[in-house]
Amino acid sequence: MADQNNTDDKGKFYSEILSPSELFAARSRSHKIPVRGQKDFFPDDSDEQKRRLEQSLNEHWSLLSEERVERLGNLVKGEWIPSEQIVELQSPAGKFWQTMGFSANGKQCLLPEEALYLMECGNLQVFYQDLPLSIQDGYEKFLSANTVSLQQYQVFGHLKRLGYVVLRFDPSSESSSYARQLNLPQSRDRAGRTLKRKRSLSPTPSSTPTATCSRAEAQEECSTEKMEEDKCNEGEEDKKLPEAQSSADEGGGRSWWMTDVLGDSDKDSGHGSKSVSSCWDFSSISFPDLGSTSREHFPGGLAPPDPSLLPGDLKVGFCDVGAWRQKINLRQVKMSASEQKKEKYRRRWDVNKNREVRRCRNWAEYQELMARRKGKREGRPAHLWNREVTPLHDPTQPIATGELLEKISVTKPTHLLEGASRLKDADDWRICFNVYQPDTVADFKKSNPGKPYSRMCVCSFDDPVPDLRAIKLLAYQSGDIPVVIAVVDYGDISFYTFKDFQLPTDVYP
Amino acid sequence: MHADFRAPRRRLRVTEELEAPLPLSPRERSHFRAELLNEHVLVCDPEHSQKIHDQGYFGKGVLSRSRPEHGISDQWEQHDGVFLPVVSQARYEELLKWAGSALSAQGWDEEAVHQALLRLSQPIQMDDVRNQMGGGEEAEENGERGEKNLEQEGGVIPQKKRSRRGSEVETEAKRSCSSDQDSDSSSDCSPDSDPDPAPLVPGPGFLLVVSDSEAGGGVREVRRTPFFLSEYLQLSLEEAFFLVYSLGCLSVYLHQKPLSILQLWRTFRSLRPDFVSSYAAYHHFRSKGWVPKGGGGTKYGVDLMLYRKGPPFYHASYSVVIERADDAFRASPLRPFSWRSLAALSRITANVSKELMLCYVIYPADLSEAELDSPVCLSRLKVQEVIVSRWVSSRERAEQDDI
Repeated sequence: MADQNNTDDKGKFYSEILSPSELFAARSRSHKIPVRGQKDFFPDDSDEQKRRLEQSLNEHWSLLSEERVERLGNLVKGEWIPSEQIVELQSPAGKFWQTMGFSANGKQCLLPEEALYLMECGNLQVFYQDLPLSIQDGYEKFLSANTVSLQQYQVFGHLKRLGYVVLRFDPSSESSSYARQLNLPQSRDRAGRTLKRKRSLSPTPSSTPTATCSRAEAQEECSTEKMEEDKCNEGEEDKKLPEAQSSADEGGGRSWWMTDVLGDSDKDSGHGSKSVSSCWDFSSISFPDLGSTSREHFPGGLAPPDPSLLPGDLKVGFCDVGAWRQKINLRQVKMSASEQKKEKYRRRWDVNKNREVRRCRNWAEYQELMARRKGKREGRPAHLWNREVTPLHDPTQPIATGELLEKISVTKPTHLLEGASRLKDADDWRICFNVYQPDTVADFKKSNPGKPYSRMCVCSFDDPVPDLRAIKLLAYQSGDIPVVIAVVDYGDISFYTFKDFQLPTDVYP
Repeated sequence: MHADFRAPRRRLRVTEELEAPLPLSPRERSHFRAELLNEHVLVCDPEHSQKIHDQGYFGKGVLSRSRPEHGISDQWEQHDGVFLPVVSQARYEELLKWAGSALSAQGWDEEAVHQALLRLSQPIQMDDVRNQMGGGEEAEENGERGEKNLEQEGGVIPQKKRSRRGSEVETEAKRSCSSDQDSDSSSDCSPDSDPDPAPLVPGPGFLLVVSDSEAGGGVREVRRTPFFLSEYLQLSLEEAFFLVYSLGCLSVYLHQKPLSILQLWRTFRSLRPDFVSSYAAYHHFRSKGWVPKGGGGTKYGVDLMLYRKGPPFYHASYSVVIERADDAFRASPLRPFSWRSLAALSRITANVSKELMLCYVIYPADLSEAELDSPVCLSRLKVQEVIVSRWVSSRERAEQDDI
């Protein structure tokens, strides 16, 4: 503190102890903070404006140049130990001990940033080699690459002055990734969801195909099979069986059946999953229509089948179907006149008479023909549907909006922590501090601070913005505490958060 | 740490009702048609544009703010039992001049143009109007015919702005023009696509000209409308592809030939290099049921604005910036940010009460160029949403808010 009594120009000696008059002057200093006046938007070169500006500036300068006066007795004394980069307290700590400092070797110690902060507050006087350090010394000595950088200190100071409790972040004290993994929510996997929607087909027993399969059931399974046709192997017999059966009702001689399926239906042996079909010529193999009303088909019974069609050594003799035919119901169905007419036309209409149908060589081609016709009829244009890539949804099918949205979701959402564990640590993005809310100061225990309110990561305004990789790294390091990035622009600090988000699906009726 | 979802803010005055969330109506089996012209996708048919816009808010009218609703005039009056649009004399002369210049641009000589315009500006009798309107069934007629003071042949009823489609009016002179099919979207004299020069075309084709002399008691004369004014709906590339690929309800024609999905994908990719990322993001938001609009993004410095249900109902909730990232999550930014630009964008977004969202489209490492050539690659992409917000240290002290 300048000694005003000493007006000697040479050899100015600044004593730190104040004379009584100086002390009184300091005590009675006005505590008013210069008020910010109204903004002028452009210089109008008037004297009035100049005067105002000068006055304002002078006030600011005088405020800055004020030296602070403290009672020596109030200052806690500490000693700077560069080898350990901490400040050891020589006198007992004051109120700040509640949230700052730590104990080591029976002594109370402070971290360098805490010490510098307290020095600036006027609570602490640090000695080094028996000389008190000035604030400038403090900045020079306490802030370095080993401790905290200047920018990190600025953030520290800013938050402390607002009342937050700021502690250093220790990455090793966080729970391991495995432990955290146990608490993670299930990753949303689209594949899992589609798997759930697949209906499991009940396997039809291959031994009793005709009797048990009703037509309705077959149709249902046909439609589910259409969904899964791409996913199943072609050679799986059980699923194809009902499909084949639905067309088996109308007698034999169809040339466009799935040749490999029917070839296996007689045999009980393990069906091959080969897709190469054995070429059965069904035009030459006759399948008896036991339900036919005409009597000429079965003079006495069934002749034994061609031995080449039978497996192995099986020998089949003559089959008397008389008893069977007595059991089946061959009575005419009672129908009204209109129904009879309809029935007549229905029996006359034969899908085989259509030329296009005859051109189809197998079931697959017939299905294609049907699809083409349907497309033409219902406005599903070929240029969209008959190419390699088809639309995700058929607009002719009615569907609820919610289901439609699920149907067209092809991109997968992801969250920040996914894949974060395999990222290697980067030097540039590190969490520095844990920040605790100011209202918890009363109950704050240094030994057990609890979960922080947020974690700070400090960077400069000229640094690049964190990319996705950096955000993921920070999120991974932090766990479930939000990370705030403090951007320092020569003393001006802005805080930004980058938070994980999943947009909720919005379906309104 | 997850960001909280904030419910969207409803607009104060909502004058519309949502027809449907997406333009699908299985019963009607309507299939829409669009043209790819000069790197733009345009829907010309007014019915199609109405459906596509009002069911899902796709696209924008080329002459209007949102839906195509540009007409020859904003004022309509009833004249002898028929509703007609009203223009001032000065405006009418201006329209005549435009028609004239369009004709001369097509190679007509001055005398012929002059004659045509003279013919065009003959006063019309109301009977002619009625006959013409009675004969032509216009496509614009809505089912809102139950209007009391309108006769059976009544014209378009302009109850609300939205019920008027872009009024299509025919150039009388067009009959003699063997006009070319230059269908540039914003030209006035774009002929319609029907080949026969029928005198009757959908639309009244008439208007009321008020002479300038007195303001209120101007003499009103019925005249023919000088030219054909039709407005198209313009779809962005992502919207068009979404309608074609995800819903299957639109076909895009290039030189009168429909494009398959693969061809369309490849064409769009060649038009815009980062189409895959922007489409992936668009598709992602659409499949969540939100309405992303692209054009509004230029007002706020971002790529997309996300609306719930549609722009007329809610204020946009999110401004989205699309970024792409590779498998190691390093971004090859489409738009590199500095803290300064991010801070500016964050401030702007906060000032308009929206939230800034970064949407990262993550490409797996083994995605080959061949795979990228087909829209099937979309299923391999992942989308990460990140909300960027500013934290004010001093404010948080007072409130017990979460960060």
